[in-house]
This record gives sequence, structure tokens and C-alpha cells, in this order.
Amino acid sequence: MLRRFAISCFVAALAMPGGARTRPHYGGSLRVEIGGDAWHYPNGLARLMVLDGLTALDADGNVTPALATDWQSDDKDHRWEFHLRPGVAFHDGSPLTSTAVVMSLNLSCTENCPWTAVHAVGSSVVFTGDSPMPNLPALLSQDAFLIALTRTADGQTPANPTGTGPFQFAALNGSVLTLTANDSCWQGRPFLDQIQLIQNRSIRDQWLDLSVDRSDVVEVPPQQIRQAQQQRITVFVSPPVELLAIQVSDSGALSNPMMRAAIAQAVDRGALFNVIFQKQGEITASLLPQSRTGYAFLFPPDRGLNKANELRGGLAPPPLTLAAQADPTMQLVAQRIALNLHEAGFNIQVANIPTAPRADLALVELPIIGANPADALAILLLGAGENAPVTTEDPATLFRAEHDVLDLKTLIPLLDLPRAWAINSGVRDFKLRADGTPDFANVSLEATQ
Amino acid sequence: MAGLAGASAFAAPGPWEQPAATLTDQIAAILGPGPAHLEIRNLSSIPVDQIPLIRRLLTQDLKAHGISVADSDSANNIHVSLSQDWMDGLWVAEVEEGAETHVTMVRARLLPRSSSGSITPDRVTLRKQVEWSNHDLASSVSLPPTSRGQVLAALKTNAGLAVMNDAEISIYAKSSGAWTLEQRFPFAARNTLPRDPRGILISTPDGNGFTAFTAGEKCNCNYTTQSDSAHTAGGWAVQCHASDDPWPIPNDLTANGVTSLSAFYNGARDYFSGVVAPSPGVDLPPFYSAAVIQRPAGSAALLVGGIDGKVQLVENGAIKTVAGTRDWGSDFAAFQSGCGSGTQIIASASGEAANDSLLAYELPALEAVPLSAPLAIDGTVTAMFSAPDGKSVLAVVRNAANEYEVDRVTALCN
Repeated sequence: MLRRFAISCFVAALAMPGGARTRPHYGGSLRVEIGGDAWHYPNGLARLMVLDGLTALDADGNVTPALATDWQSDDKDHRWEFHLRPGVAFHDGSPLTSTAVVMSLNLSCTENCPWTAVHAVGSSVVFTGDSPMPNLPALLSQDAFLIALTRTADGQTPANPTGTGPFQFAALNGSVLTLTANDSCWQGRPFLDQIQLIQNRSIRDQWLDLSVDRSDVVEVPPQQIRQAQQQRITVFVSPPVELLAIQVSDSGALSNPMMRAAIAQAVDRGALFNVIFQKQGEITASLLPQSRTGYAFLFPPDRGLNKANELRGGLAPPPLTLAAQADPTMQLVAQRIALNLHEAGFNIQVANIPTAPRADLALVELPIIGANPADALAILLLGAGENAPVTTEDPATLFRAEHDVLDLKTLIPLLDLPRAWAINSGVRDFKLRADGTPDFANVSLEATQ
Repeated sequence: MAGLAGASAFAAPGPWEQPAATLTDQIAAILGPGPAHLEIRNLSSIPVDQIPLIRRLLTQDLKAHGISVADSDSANNIHVSLSQDWMDGLWVAEVEEGAETHVTMVRARLLPRSSSGSITPDRVTLRKQVEWSNHDLASSVSLPPTSRGQVLAALKTNAGLAVMNDAEISIYAKSSGAWTLEQRFPFAARNTLPRDPRGILISTPDGNGFTAFTAGEKCNCNYTTQSDSAHTAGGWAVQCHASDDPWPIPNDLTANGVTSLSAFYNGARDYFSGVVAPSPGVDLPPFYSAAVIQRPAGSAALLVGGIDGKVQLVENGAIKTVAGTRDWGSDFAAFQSGCGSGTQIIASASGEAANDSLLAYELPALEAVPLSAPLAIDGTVTAMFSAPDGKSVLAVVRNAANEYEVDRVTALCN
């Protein structure tokens, strides 16, 4: 039987100042359960706790210094120099050097990088680009560019991911990954002694474990936020941090832009929002949310089946493949979209993303982070595989840039979704980062009085 | 512009004049003279009662451009959405000219929100006065990022106000009624401060200088009228060095013969180890806060707030738990308001409310008795210290926007 929890639900979008009325305690082990792989790219929880970037985003999405203390651009953003923070060491004790940073970046970014070349110059890391890189400080905060040790002092590849973050790899037993506090973390030692990440747990098992105090932090999928609240579980909900969208191929049968426009018109976002996601998140036809840009209402999300048929113009396209992640919710979303498109004369087959890497359509989740809309748009487009510098901060110009991207109909926005987590009553100072993942470095456990 | 002359007759149209004029300029550039239907919707936090005012301004400004606003359907439609983005207001006009729609937009300032609070008087009434705030500084002068760090402690000296944050000690001088940054003394490269960093500033007996303690570092800060060393900048000489010296426990009773106590701070954590010099005669647990207080009978005792949440009193070589402190946070400070007998305590309330509150207590025996109604604080109290005069308490407060202020809290006897 589920234990009754304290009646409270926090919405991270509201102000949640760090409660220092009683100071945070050092020590203790936090048990976290997740449905996936902790090292999953992007945004696997272990990656975010073990690795740091040259820059970071604060909780509001503003770019802040991390492994780089400051940076400057020259040549109209074609050259950037990032100065490394002195005295930082990897978890194995080896110093963070500009050479190590360059090796890490070269290993993690082999194609479609935001820069043309990256070099170590003294204690600085210098990026040069054929195109201007106005969003580079924001982009470098992203998971793709986190810094990991690539070679140990004796020239070997590290056995486990080794970074500079607040926690370090300790052990992996079955599905239980143990991370321990990095005592010499450049940001200060975390309050917790260790975190146990129990991977690949079903949501049902996660919630059961939370109810009997076998877990401290568990996931709450957007469509189950309401259910968690009804069960009086303490839930933290982020603002929308992910854009659920359809990525549309512009080749083959879909090289005709009218066909892509017909698909965009045929999708019934309301059904996804009301039925599958239980009215969590926001319906959208824009890349960035209204709260960020102020102009998202200019992209109407209404379904136009007649318009879709009109755009298709009587053409009968060949069967198309829609790929989605294997998780049941994404498969359900894909099935419903297939049904929508069938009503508009398309024949859609749903497949798993790993088995259909070159699908005509793919359901993707893209990050909506970064306080500055220009940076947020660049980060989102990078997530979609497009390296597109967004140079403007003028709302009208930004609107036109977003309009131009959407006009291609290669990205069809569906819903802006939040991330949510449930915690038990002993967890203190639980806050979400700009990407909706927990900031475990500042979490502490309640002391027993 | 003719439209603005008319607008001046309305109540405070100020904030909307400029965006209305700019937006209508842009609309006129698209539409040209003629009739148009104007529709306005509010997607922002602009109060509803401001909408008629904005409509009038837009109508008048359009008219000045030769665009007459028609009541009924027109071939030309102007949809103005009063929206807002991540920073401020954004007014968007969708201009329908026949089958074509053009979009244009302009930034508009949002009105600041007002706040209010009330205090219910009790045996004493707590009052706060803002001594210093980095909000005003940030908006008035160009400060380096280090001057806006996490504020650890503040102290008013005869020569100015000292503020210690996690990166430096800053000295402020009063100029035209406001504090202006006079000198900065960044800490040298050193070990990383722990999360939840702490520090304290202890005034020198003459009130001119102070000693600063933070994790692993101690600074002697003296004000002299003449420069006398390489480390001197202006009238201030600040010398910092690595140190694990114990931090003095605030005590305004030394004049009465009460011994000064110091406590060793755990430089890698956020609490004191429990080792106090000279020894009070009993083993103390690790603690967050300590204060020497005067008991109603005139004797002195040491009050400690343990990291286990227990508040204990060390008196006559014995340690006893104090009741009535369940709602106390980790920080408290002692002061003598003159309202009751002996020393009073100001403690922050525990809990997870958005904003903190402070309460005054008395310890007639082994139970903390509230003396005041809660004093609402606009944020989180991150540190609290007894002021050097012993009659007030300085509270460091962080608000929701991560700005800091230092409040002086005093008590009025009822």
C-alpha cells in the first residue's frame, strides 16, 4: 500500500529560493531511480554529475562560467578564447589543461561542430570558425561538449568516465551505479557522500520504492504528473524544457515542400495534449515557447485537415516510416500521429528509432533551454542536428529566423513538455537545473533530530 | 506628435507612449493612410485597466499617420497583441492588408509589481532597516562580477561599511545618503570555498577596523589615515593569510568579566567542529551557531545550535537542551534590546516557505519564549550576526532574484 506523503507539490517555474533556514547537512547517501541509462547521451544523470562544461547554464538559463572563468570573442565572433579556471583537477588527480579540453572536444565532436577548429593556447582554449559563432558560450554548456578525460597520465584511456564534476564514478553493480562525492570539486564538495543510481527501473517500481522509503528521488513522466499529485507525492515540475517535434526528411517522397506542409497541417496536437499527456505541457507550433519569445502565438497550432488534403493535391505518397523511441509513450504518440496522417491520405508505418535510422519522419525531443531566445534557438537547432548561428536579439529578426526554419516544414513542433521528479520527505534543497534535471550537488538529506 | 498631446490628459500614460508611437510608426509604414479595424488582446501582465489607455494611444497615433480606426469590418485589420518575452513587454502587430499579413513588433516596459507586508505587534516589535543592498549597486554602477557574489557578512565601521562575499572584501563609503563602492580587496587564489560558504567580520575595539574570518582564511583590515605599506590602498590596509584560527563567538559581556570564546570552524563544511577555546568544561557537538548570552540572574551562558537541530545551553559546566526551539533555523544572534531582562535572541524560522521570518525570543529558564510577532523578510536569511553595539542584529538576506541586502534588525519595546 502506498504510504501517504506530505501534501505538497512544487512547481519549479515558481520562485523556489534555497531554504537556508536550517543549513544543509553534509553526509548521507541518496538513492535515485531512473527508467533509462545513467550515462545516456544526452542528459544522462551520471554524465551531468560527473562532467562539467567550459560554461554552464544557471537555473534561469543564463550562461555562467564553469571550467572557463571568462571568455572573449574577436573577429565578429569568428574567434573565441576561453580562459581555463586554474587549479581544477580531474577525478584521477590529473590537472585540467587546455590540451586535455581540446582532446575531449575533438573526441566528442567529430562532425557538424559549431566551430571549425579548436586549439590549446597556453591556459586558454581557442575556437575558430568559418562562420560566426555568436552562441558558442551557450552551446558549450550542452551535454555534447562536456569535458571528459581522454588519456590518463600513463597514456591509457580511462576505464570509466572521468571528469571534474561534483561526483565521481565509484562502482557499477548490475544496474546500480554508485557515485561518490568529489572532495576537491572546484565548486566545493557536494553535501551528499554518495549517490546510488538505480537504472532501468519501471515507473511503477520507482514509485513503489519511493512509497516504502527504498528510494529518495524518482522520475515522473509528464503524463503522470497529475496522478502523482493525486497520490500526494511531492513532485517538482520544471517549466517546459523539451520540445516534442516531428523531424521530417526533405528527400525522397518528402522532397516536395507541399507534402511536408500537408503533414504539418494534418497533425492533431490537441489529441496528444489531452489524451496522451493528460494536459501537461503546452501545445505549440513554434520552436520556442511564448514565455521566452513573446511571439509564439503567431504560429497557430490548429489542425487543418482540409488544408492538408488541399496541399497534398491528390498525390498519393508512398508508405512513409515514422520512427520513435521505444518507450511506450513515444510509441503511442507515433501511433496517434500515424492515425492523423492516415486521415490526410498518408500511409505511415511506425518503427523504433534504433531499427529505422533513416526514417522519413522521426519523433524527436529537443531542448528548450537558455534564457536568451537567440541562444535557446541555437541550442534547439543543434539538438536537431543543425548548426545554425542565431546572431540577433531583436525580437522581430528572431521571429523571422524562426519563421524561416519552420517554413521549411522539416521540423513540426507538437508540444512543449516539462520534466518532473518526485522526492521523499528527507530530501533537502532539491532544485531543478535549466534543463529540468536535478541539481544533486546542492541536495542534502534531512538530519534526524 | 499630435496624439501624444491628447494622451497627456489621461492618468499617467507615460510607460505606453513610446511603444505605442513606435508601433504605430511601423504599422503606418506597412499600411499607409486609410481605414482599418483595430483589435487589441492582452497576453501580458499589464493590468486590465491599462488596456483602454493603450487603445486610445494607439488610435490617436494611427490617426496622426492618417489611419482611421473603423469600428466595423474593414479590408485592413490590425491585431495588436500585448505580449511579453523572457525580459520585458513585447507588443506585436499583425497587419492584414487584403490577403497578406505582415508582422511587426516593439519592446514595451512592463509595470513593476508592488509589494506589501504587515507586522503584528507583541511584547516587542521587531523592525528592520536596509543597511545595504547590491540591487541598487548593480543598477547604478558597473561592478565586476566578484562584487555581486554570495554575501557572507557585513559590518559598519567608523570608516565605512565592509561587506565580505565569497570572492572579496568590499568597502563602501556613504555618499549623498547612499553607499558607494570605495575599495575592493579580492581574496588571493586559494582553496575552493565549501558549498554554503560562511564568514564573519569582527570589529576592532576602536571600531575603525575589523578582522574577517572565512573558511581557511583570515584577514586583518585596518583603517589608517596615511598609507604605510605596499598593501595599503587609500586608507585601508587589508592583509589576508591562510588560517585555521578559531572564530570569535560574539560576546558583548566581556566588559562584565565574561571570558571571550572562540570556536574552530570546519573549513571543508559549513559548521563549527564543536571545539571551543577556552573549553567551557563540557564536550560540545558540532554546531552552526553560538552566542554568549546573559542569563536573567546575571550569569553568562553559551547557547549553541547543533547541526542535529538541537539548541543547547552550556551553563555552569553542564549542557542542557533548550525547549521551544523546534521552529528555529540554523542561525540565531543575541542582542540586548533593553525591553526585557538579560539577552534576547533573534532566530530565523525554519521551514520551506518562500520567504523567511525573524522572531525575538527570551530564555528565562530552559525554554525559548517568543517575545515578538514574526518579522517578514523579503527572501532567505543566509547569515545573522550580533551588531558590534550589541543592541541590534545584522541579517544577510538573499531575495528570489539572487540579490543580497543587509538588514539591521532592532526591537521596540511595547
